[in-house]
Amino acid sequence: MKLILSTSNIMGAGSSIRRSTKSKSNSELISSLRSNFEAHYTTTNGLSNGDAKPVKANYEVWTNRKENCLEVPALEFADSALQEEREQYDITSKLFYLPGAKIAEREKQTREALDLVLQDLHMPSVDLLIVSFPGIYFDEEEDCPDKISTRGPVESEPETMQSQIETWKVLEKLYEEGLVKKLGVAELGHDRLLSFLDRTQIKPSVDQINLRDCCSVPKDLMALAKSRSVELLVHNDCSNILPRGTTRELLGPGEGGAGVLAEPTKTGDKRKSLHGEESTNGDAPGGDALRGEVQPQWVVKYTAVVKNRGVVENKGYFAVAEVVE
Amino acid sequence: MGLLATGTPLEWPEAKKVAGHVRQWGIEQLLAIWNKAKGKERDALLWGDEIEYLVVSFDEEKRRVVLSLRQADILEALASDAELLRQGGGVPDIQTGDKKHGKVAPTFHPEFGRFMLEATPGAPWGIGFKDLLDVESDMKWRREIAKQHMYAWEYPITMTNFPMLGDRKSILPWFPPSGSRLRSQFVPDEIANPHIRFPTLAANIRARRGRKVELNVPVFHDEKTVWPFKDPTVDYDLHDWPEDDDVRNGAAKENHIYMDAMAFGMGTCCLQITFQAKNIEEGRKMYDQLSPLGPILLALTAATPIYKGFLANTDVRWNQISRAVDDRTPEELGEKPLKNDRWRIPKSRYASNSTYISQDPRLRREYLDPDLVYDPEIKTRLMEGGMDDLLASHFAHLFIRDPIVVFNEDLKNLDLDKNDHFENLQSTNWQHMRFKPPPTGSDIGWRVEVRPMEIQITDFENAAFSVFVVLITRAILSLDLNFYLPIQRTTENMETAHHRDAVLNDKFYFRKDPMPRRQARTNGASNPPSGANTPRLQPTRPDSPFGPVEDEYELMTVDEIINGKADSVFPGLIPLVESYLDSVNVDVETRCELAQYLNLIKGRANGSLWTAAKWIRHFVRSHEKYGMDSVVSEEVAYDVVKAAERITEQEGRDGFAKEMMGECRQQS
Repeated sequence: MKLILSTSNIMGAGSSIRRSTKSKSNSELISSLRSNFEAHYTTTNGLSNGDAKPVKANYEVWTNRKENCLEVPALEFADSALQEEREQYDITSKLFYLPGAKIAEREKQTREALDLVLQDLHMPSVDLLIVSFPGIYFDEEEDCPDKISTRGPVESEPETMQSQIETWKVLEKLYEEGLVKKLGVAELGHDRLLSFLDRTQIKPSVDQINLRDCCSVPKDLMALAKSRSVELLVHNDCSNILPRGTTRELLGPGEGGAGVLAEPTKTGDKRKSLHGEESTNGDAPGGDALRGEVQPQWVVKYTAVVKNRGVVENKGYFAVAEVVE
Repeated sequence: MGLLATGTPLEWPEAKKVAGHVRQWGIEQLLAIWNKAKGKERDALLWGDEIEYLVVSFDEEKRRVVLSLRQADILEALASDAELLRQGGGVPDIQTGDKKHGKVAPTFHPEFGRFMLEATPGAPWGIGFKDLLDVESDMKWRREIAKQHMYAWEYPITMTNFPMLGDRKSILPWFPPSGSRLRSQFVPDEIANPHIRFPTLAANIRARRGRKVELNVPVFHDEKTVWPFKDPTVDYDLHDWPEDDDVRNGAAKENHIYMDAMAFGMGTCCLQITFQAKNIEEGRKMYDQLSPLGPILLALTAATPIYKGFLANTDVRWNQISRAVDDRTPEELGEKPLKNDRWRIPKSRYASNSTYISQDPRLRREYLDPDLVYDPEIKTRLMEGGMDDLLASHFAHLFIRDPIVVFNEDLKNLDLDKNDHFENLQSTNWQHMRFKPPPTGSDIGWRVEVRPMEIQITDFENAAFSVFVVLITRAILSLDLNFYLPIQRTTENMETAHHRDAVLNDKFYFRKDPMPRRQARTNGASNPPSGANTPRLQPTRPDSPFGPVEDEYELMTVDEIINGKADSVFPGLIPLVESYLDSVNVDVETRCELAQYLNLIKGRANGSLWTAAKWIRHFVRSHEKYGMDSVVSEEVAYDVVKAAERITEQEGRDGFAKEMMGECRQQS
């Protein structure tokens, strides 16, 4: 079973605030997924009575199942999300390939991610697509303790350059199809960026790096970027943006969980007695939560900024995870 | 300050007679603008800053500093600088240089004080992040150009107030006080810009008021200050003008520094920022949302600890300007029963604002001032003309005032393609926020002006605060932030911001939770699934998630407001700005430059970096010639202004004033 998780537009939803520069930098994704789930599963069960206690609706009520795919929550692209014309916007998307995901399916993953973004924004293309490969940190040897602490759990070694170049070919296709106007990479230091520039047809025009509070860019990287017209942009994401454990927690049966995934134990009876109360929505068909191991595959973040006003009109995430019994 | 109209100004009793006439025509002009521009859409973010300078003149040998009254000469020199004109700069008031070439050179403008200059960028800024980095270098360019058109011993200093203004000595050339227009016992009429508008403004304010303006600033009670303090510089024996009776009637208050002329307020320098909004709605929203930030910005930029040669017990200029242009009559002030005047007016023309104007569902009736004074006939006329209640109330409130400077020639025909009568009232309401309709006959959109900040000593700081305010507006619009609180609390906060070291020791009313919120829906089963678009969820209770207004806000320190409050939902303005920056593509160099600006503001808020007010006060109190008696002597003042010059040039790189500048500029 494949799960498509989405945040909807998080600008104006109040969950995108970095509390401090020390906070974990995937907290925006996690908290906005959580609050979007919450907004969908919380019902008061009695319409007008303000005193009614909120209860958790069964996930089948607010998700949408299409064959072997579950949208959490149900996706709806009916309304145009952006108010202005295409050329008014600077649309950036960033695709995080996650550790442990199937590298062989990169083309499918990439197309699906971009497709969801374009559908949601009702736009024919994005301006910039940045890809982030698992296990790569540009600041490896640097003395900046803040950065290290924001990487998220290390669940993988960096994949081979060969594999990254193979993936890049997918992006080049998207570029040639006109779906993406510029391509970018993330977290590449001087050596990796140089290899990338030498071994690709369509060169990355952006390298996005995480500076945190340390405003020191290695001079060799700066020089390379200048000489090869690569723009060095700042980001504040961690590469392992959606770890397995966090995903399980978000979707699991616990308090604050969405109730999509069952307890990892095999004792179904116990689970029912524990959480029976939470799914007492009378109207809802009492579906069973999904069983199995969850494996996040990728996350795509997208932002649409009105160019001449600097206003972020839309920002959100889609994430895909596999549940394997 | 805009272009200066000219003509034959009416003296006070005459101007008063035509006040209703001017207001009526002003309102018709406003309606014409409103009808033409209310549908104006999709304007870009353009913004501009205004820097005001004092021109000081040093005598290094005698260790003396005085104000130079050479504004006119300097502007003349700037206006006839061929190179400056070729680059699009100059002095629009005197002549226009429109040969744009590459980077547009800055423009210079006269100000009220004859010792002041104002400079603005030659072209407005956009929101390209590289534009933000150009602001500081443009400010430095402005100062450099200004300096080039002065004598070698003169300097354009950005201190809010000249420490010795009103000592009857420190101006060059020297003139005796007690002229017919200002009738001040401390400053001569020649202190004001000689353009007919300015002396008329000062004289008519005095005449309308029925006495001189009255500024009493609490004096700083130092170890050896004679207490109770009676301002030793007040002359009780003058008999040149009827207004000389003011001091004999108790105008000078005990334990206060007493001043008696418009120049003591309008002669101080501010940092003002004006934004163009996308459309009228966005403009109205920015006006409302920035209003509660005003007092915080004032406290953060505090830079005014000295008046007329004495240390004051306050840190900012605001109330002094307020009193310097306070034209209210005793009836309007509530000192006498209403007989000739129409209403009691609680605030000066220069004051914190009293209206919210956004048609925003989050604006609760309880936030509005229940005692707002407005002219009901004007409001009715505006609403007949199609304006909505909130905006009509706003302008009907501004239009309770009389026009001060009226030119006889302008009263012959009403020209609806002009805005002179409207601007006459609009631009002499100096509130801390100003909502500006598009000027007629231009492509400019609806604008909002942010007016509370004090000028900072360095261009680095002025750029930092300008850029910070720009970024906050972007965060407000992007994150849909809500800073509403009852507007009377902002008025109170404005007073609080005057306290010595308010930035460290005082608390300000502020909204607890500025974040928008997703609302839970009534019943998952009965709603159509909503997905990746903004969820159209029904509120649990129809549109009334509102508790008591008093529960929405609390007292916070400036540090909490700027840097965030531990254990609460309030994230802090800097984290909000950083969240915004995380959502847009910013290159590393820009982001690192912006980080320097944000670090300055963080530091000022948490006390690790001192405000200029604290630094100057400390400098004076540590000076070997200071007698711990509140008196700032000419010699100390010289060193203060010299220090400001050094800080302007070095920005703390030489280790001087590091308490104020910190390490902000060490690495660059």
